[in-house]
Amino acid sequence: MASDPNQQTERHGWKWLLSTPALIVLVLAASGPLMIVIVYSFLTPGNMGGVAWEFSTDAWFRVFFRRDIFDPENVTVNQAHLAVLWRSVWLSAQTTVICAVLGFPTAWFIATRPPSQRTVWLFLITIPFWTNLLIRTFAIQEMLRNNGTINTALLWLGVINEPIPMMFTDFAVLLGMAYVFMPLMVLPLYAAMDKMDFRLVEAGYDLYASRIAVLRHVILPLVKPGFIAGSILVFIPSIGAYVTPRVLGGGQKMMLGNLIALQFGQGRNWPLGAALAMVLLIITITALVLYLRAVNRQEAKRDG
Amino acid sequence: MSEPDPTQPSEIEITGLSKTFGQGASAFTALADIDLSIRTGEFFTLLGPSGCGKTTLLRVIAGFEQPTTGSLKINGKEVAGQGPNARPVNTVFQSYALFPHMSVAQNIGFGLKMLGRPAAEVKETTAQMLKLVQMEAMADRKPSEISGGQQQRVALARALAPQPRVLLLDEPLSALDLKLRKEMQSELKRLQTETGITFVFVTHDQEEALTMSDRIAVMSGGRILQLGAPNDIYNSPAERFVADFIGDTNFLTVKVVEATDTIAQVRLPGGMLQSARLPEGMHPAAGDDVTVVIRPEQANLTEGGASPLSATVTHSVFFGTDTLVHVTLVDGTPFTLRRQNAGNPTPPAPGTQVGLTFAHGALQVIRE
Repeated sequence: MASDPNQQTERHGWKWLLSTPALIVLVLAASGPLMIVIVYSFLTPGNMGGVAWEFSTDAWFRVFFRRDIFDPENVTVNQAHLAVLWRSVWLSAQTTVICAVLGFPTAWFIATRPPSQRTVWLFLITIPFWTNLLIRTFAIQEMLRNNGTINTALLWLGVINEPIPMMFTDFAVLLGMAYVFMPLMVLPLYAAMDKMDFRLVEAGYDLYASRIAVLRHVILPLVKPGFIAGSILVFIPSIGAYVTPRVLGGGQKMMLGNLIALQFGQGRNWPLGAALAMVLLIITITALVLYLRAVNRQEAKRDG
Repeated sequence: MSEPDPTQPSEIEITGLSKTFGQGASAFTALADIDLSIRTGEFFTLLGPSGCGKTTLLRVIAGFEQPTTGSLKINGKEVAGQGPNARPVNTVFQSYALFPHMSVAQNIGFGLKMLGRPAAEVKETTAQMLKLVQMEAMADRKPSEISGGQQQRVALARALAPQPRVLLLDEPLSALDLKLRKEMQSELKRLQTETGITFVFVTHDQEEALTMSDRIAVMSGGRILQLGAPNDIYNSPAERFVADFIGDTNFLTVKVVEATDTIAQVRLPGGMLQSARLPEGMHPAAGDDVTVVIRPEQANLTEGGASPLSATVTHSVFFGTDTLVHVTLVDGTPFTLRRQNAGNPTPPAPGTQVGLTFAHGALQVIRE
């Protein structure tokens, strides 16, 4: 029968030691660098990049405000930074929604294939991961630019008289990010659907539900864990995306990742870059907390 | 005979229905040319081994599968081609298929909600149903928080709540342990009588079928082999499969001496003459070899003295209320008979010479 709880504790007492390798990796690869970034964000920029070991909150100040070069007393809100922050959040949210809307039917299609075919479809979904991100992004650029595939085809068909400018727009960045992160939505959605008991769908139909009603009352609630996992997996890398906005958005449509890279590179302002990186982390965590809380509240409301 | 009145209206009318899965060389015929009429208010059972097509037939009636050919009428209306949400039937699934994200009460009210009934009515009917299956105390629990037997009751209540014309039950008791299964058998029977709804029950358990049903259709290989009241099916099996599947049976090869339309005089091994009932439409000639079935409890054993049919005891198995005595007939055919232990305290020892007699009407000729 049930074993003595004291004995159980004793038996598990030393077992945490087995996780030591993982803990070491976590400390070295995650917490360590994070500490460095936090410390750097409170230092002064060095002359040739790097940092000078002198405490300052100036980097944090400059994330949100700017001082006039000639009149340091004249402080204004840093519109450029705020625009980049807002664009990052907004484009990432849109990417997540696009991935969810397009990923759901994709995952559904795979989950409803005969089991022998599903592996093949899943394999096809992961194929883009086999090619370097940069190359795939340049391939999208090749399609979108003024004398690229799409515009050439449309011109040749006579649909348009002059090329539609698509490069260096929010549209280009969105398209690129949705394409790149789609598998991260499809895979958890598929996993949730794979676990789903399809007899529940039959039970829904049997109890007079229409297709839409079955989708709304049975399928969506059941695959919600997949949506939550997929949204988190898409949103987090989206908001920190670097390559896609760099190639498809150019300097015009910069995102937070590009701004951070700029500060560590040409900007030679490591503390500002570190502070921006911390802001990115805070936005991500806040978004996650708000999202999960909203999801739970919805659940509680339905239960009540 | 408990044969229901044939003038009763039929709830489900199936004619020439077949169902084929796949195409070409890999095509599989799950149902072949089914004709079946299920009467209003009866407890009808589809009985057969797994793969016999009983579940497919149930799914066709429910609307989860569409028939390949044939017609299916529910309450006089053709429903072939319609989806499950357009048919006045509800299903109790083998796995119950309760919605895990809804409470017990929400599960029960789901059908009515989807039918667009006002919230007050949904609430009232749900409360009635909870009472009917004695689950009032569990209304706010999730399906994962109640036992298997309770889930079974909720599944029943959910399917009964929209007051369907027909309730389809797909082996609903197979996941329950023996005691609970017995309990639910009488519970199901009670619900059927109380609601007056036609029940179509699928099972592979012959005992369950015999105890609960008004009529039974025995299925095998996508066909209905025999249709009748439980005692008809048990006492007068028309085919070897039916006799073999339901209950324990002895098969004996015998010679026809003379035959009328319904009765044949047959000669048993050892020369004894007996009359045996013939299945409908079977007309053997004198001199033909036919197979008869004799249920173990229809044979009696006499010890000592001469007997027209003698046998040798090989071994006995004690079962509490009765004993199964295995004997060998003079020609070497094995035969089993069931003897009540009341009044027969000691089973005959192996090797004992005994005589066999049969109850009146014990012999039934079957088609091979």
